[in-house]
Amino acid sequence: MSGGREVWILLRRELRAALRERSVVLSTIVMPVLLYPLLLWLAFSIGSFVQGQQERQRSRLVVLGDSPELVESVAEILRGGSESGQQLEWVDGPEADHESARERVAAGELDLAVMVFPVEAPAGNYRVELLWDTTVGRSAKARDRVEDLLSDHRGQRIEEEVERLGIGPETWLGFEIERRNLATRSEMGAFVLGLMAPLFTILMIAVGCFYTAIDTTAGERERSTWETSLTLAVSRDRVVLAKFLTVALLGWTAGLLNLVALSVSLRAILAPALGASQMMLQFSLPWRALPLLFLASALLALFIAAGMMLFAAFARTFKEGQSMVTPFYLLCLLPAMVVQAPDLELTAGWALVPIANVALVLRDAITGTYHWPWIGLTLAVEVATVLACLALARRVMADENVMTGAFEGSFAQFVRRELLGHGRERSGESP
Amino acid sequence: MSTTPSDRSDCAEPPVRVSGLSKLFVDEGRGEVRAVDDVSFECRVGEIFGLLGANGAGKTTTLRMLSTVLAPTGGKALVRGFEVRQNPEAVRRNLGFFSASTALYPRLTARETLTFFARINGVEEPRVESRVEELIRRFGIGEYADARVEKLSSGMKQKVSLARTVAHDPPILIFDEPTVGLDVLAALDLQGLIAELRDEGKTILFSTHIMSEAERLCDRIAIIHRGRILACGKLEELRTATGEHYLEDIFVALVQPRPASP
Repeated sequence: MSGGREVWILLRRELRAALRERSVVLSTIVMPVLLYPLLLWLAFSIGSFVQGQQERQRSRLVVLGDSPELVESVAEILRGGSESGQQLEWVDGPEADHESARERVAAGELDLAVMVFPVEAPAGNYRVELLWDTTVGRSAKARDRVEDLLSDHRGQRIEEEVERLGIGPETWLGFEIERRNLATRSEMGAFVLGLMAPLFTILMIAVGCFYTAIDTTAGERERSTWETSLTLAVSRDRVVLAKFLTVALLGWTAGLLNLVALSVSLRAILAPALGASQMMLQFSLPWRALPLLFLASALLALFIAAGMMLFAAFARTFKEGQSMVTPFYLLCLLPAMVVQAPDLELTAGWALVPIANVALVLRDAITGTYHWPWIGLTLAVEVATVLACLALARRVMADENVMTGAFEGSFAQFVRRELLGHGRERSGESP
Repeated sequence: MSTTPSDRSDCAEPPVRVSGLSKLFVDEGRGEVRAVDDVSFECRVGEIFGLLGANGAGKTTTLRMLSTVLAPTGGKALVRGFEVRQNPEAVRRNLGFFSASTALYPRLTARETLTFFARINGVEEPRVESRVEELIRRFGIGEYADARVEKLSSGMKQKVSLARTVAHDPPILIFDEPTVGLDVLAALDLQGLIAELRDEGKTILFSTHIMSEAERLCDRIAIIHRGRILACGKLEELRTATGEHYLEDIFVALVQPRPASP
């Protein structure tokens, strides 16, 4: 029987077993297709609901100062007819000085204290001091409202003053600002998709690999089927290769499903946050980018699968596997955050950083930017990291104690003891 | 690794030949542990060869070395002429290994399990289906052939395990404490099936710590204690050597010899 056929038989067995495990199906199919888009939609909906509630909330404030005329004048400005003015609520309190107003804001009795002080010159001018607590949402909102009202009033005053002096707007305005966005709807959609999709794709690849990597290694040990696989009449390399391909395939599937699900549902996901402006955006994956998206995400899935299996191979129970693989899982997510910086470009330096390089390639492919030399370098780096992980995995699996679950330690301890030679005396290998 | 006949010794030789086999473990707490110490024996065609010993005597380690799960640290073990370290895949192709540590894949059905083991262990594709049906009939698995293994009772699982062990019709079978955890009827059933396999000409290595089981089933018995074989032979030969009749007494006489009278 050929090696390829043996791996195929083993792979089918692994896939069948994995896809009958609820947690694997949940992390590989349900989460990327339904749960994640749904959770994102919920997060945006809750965010905009909270924002709406905050908008409706009235801001409690006092206006204080030594000069009753100035206080009344500022209060009049704030009571003005604008919508923000109607959201203000004057709280009656004891006659207060600066210090007691500060205490009342800090205690949450007030959202804002507006202190008015006269200035010596020019006559009629005054200084307004706003006391608020930035850690309290409604206090910050009150500050924004009052600041807007006062700024509007200042602008209005300037306009009245220049008009009184006989200067028309065509003279003092100087210039006008007109905005013209050159980005098309699909380019803007690609930009938003490029900020979100690579991160979630990598997250989903990692989630998809996570449970399967543990299930096919530590899970098998826990179920006493690991040794069953070791006694099959095929080489152990092939047994391990089939497990590795299963993990990578399911991780890749999770990543791609999420990418498709996000591009299809992003409009609905962002609807609560963007409102009518969502119509300005068009979300779709460019066909031209698909081969690169497939290739880069496949290499990433191979790398993450190999890394996770290296850690999981030392666990003897599923629980132990979870705690051993989690640090690597989190480590995978950190470099993917680079896509959140829209101005960060794929350079030779970034192309050398695994995961971050693929995240940038995915983002650029979605937005239609292709830095081919660095894309080539990224793919080469990914292939090299996969091969390095596989070589290490081969070394690990060649160790009888790891293979039979007799090694009492983690991947880090194995590297220290067996590869770096620290405390080389082997231990914990009794049956 | 080559599996050509030139690698193999003479076919007239016993299918399993073990000489000076040793396994040394290093344990942080206990230091060096010689789990198997210079063990030698042979198994012949069509016999059940029993390894009888208390828990921790070295039975399982010996059998795990023969099945290539563990590599010996000394000595030699040949399975149909293939050396376990040099040619592990050829060794595995020639034997079926059944033990508590080789459980069934719980999420496959009994039929899928047998199909997988037949296929991966080298049954030719056109014969796989008929071989699986044959095994289902023979081991009486039909009623639950399409149920997932995780839903089966212990007795049903043991039958499926036995069927998967012989799925590729290997000439040598290793049973490591196969009746552990079974009720009396299921254990007797399993013993009957093992005896049938012996009658078909299979070479069977059977480890147990249950004396009655060894007495009933084994053609020859090796008594293993602290990693060493203390005696090996037919029951009659062991009786003669120790002067005891019951296997239990023979075992005690060998592992706890009486001090010579003054």
